[in-house]
Amino acid sequence: MEERLYDLIFICRPATPEEEIDKMIATLEHTVAERGGKVEKKEKWGARKMAYRVMRHREGYYVLMVIRSDKSDTVHELERRLKVSDVVIKYMTVRLDEDMKRQKRLQHRREKKAARRPRGPRPAAGGGHGHGGSGGGGEQPAVAQQQQQ
Amino acid sequence: MSDETLKESQPQQAPPEPKEPRPQEHPAAAPSPTDAPAAPSAPPQGRPQGGRPPDGRPREGRPGEGRGGESRGPREGGREGGKRGRRGFFRKKKVCRFCVDRVDYIDYKKPEQLMTFIQDRGKIVPRRITGTCSRHQRWLAEAIKRARNIALMPFGGAR
Repeated sequence: MEERLYDLIFICRPATPEEEIDKMIATLEHTVAERGGKVEKKEKWGARKMAYRVMRHREGYYVLMVIRSDKSDTVHELERRLKVSDVVIKYMTVRLDEDMKRQKRLQHRREKKAARRPRGPRPAAGGGHGHGGSGGGGEQPAVAQQQQQ
Repeated sequence: MSDETLKESQPQQAPPEPKEPRPQEHPAAAPSPTDAPAAPSAPPQGRPQGGRPPDGRPREGRPGEGRGGESRGPREGGREGGKRGRRGFFRKKKVCRFCVDRVDYIDYKKPEQLMTFIQDRGKIVPRRITGTCSRHQRWLAEAIKRARNIALMPFGGAR
């Protein structure tokens, strides 16, 4: 299986001690490493308010891990561990590589398009004219009024 | 029976009042008396009808009103179109916000940005309102749904 990229987000109970969460993360990392994948990023967002109540909690401790793996059972195993865990109240795995591929493709196309027809000087020239005209128009009436007075 | 007598009495009173509008519309004098006897059963409405008997007239009047729109033709649609134009029914062309910002990927992990695209009750705002292009609306919907799944955004209202 080709390599795939996943977002793994899980929410722990807000009262969970930090060590517990670190332990959880370590376990997941180990699981990934076991299967030849790698953890590209791990972020602890900390406790934040959830949009709705989950297991009677209004707040949750969010953790995000970005995982790269080419083994099909990696996600399976990760989700199993999250499901079994007591501290985790919610989790979600999202496959990202296809979105990223699309994003890269679009970016590439945009860059090519930009390179084909550069447009730097034209807007600048137009802006200069506009400023000059408006400035002159504003000054002249003012001068005339002063003379009349 | 007493009702009918009342009704009859009203039409009798009716003719004098219509006289007031008549000066404005001379030909109205002829049709209104004819209508009043013709429909004595519905006298209270007789007066409004007395104004309308000009039913033959309104047709004359309408073209007069629609003179501005006559260039488009005698059709009713044309007249409505004219009104629309007069009342400023113009719609500003909406531009997809994501296209303006050259967005290639809408991140579900940034609920603050997505929050502007849901209603109070958590509905995704349709693109006829926001002006988002179809492609970005698709991505946006996807992102919002993902965010909902992990409690970053509400499914319906704020609890």
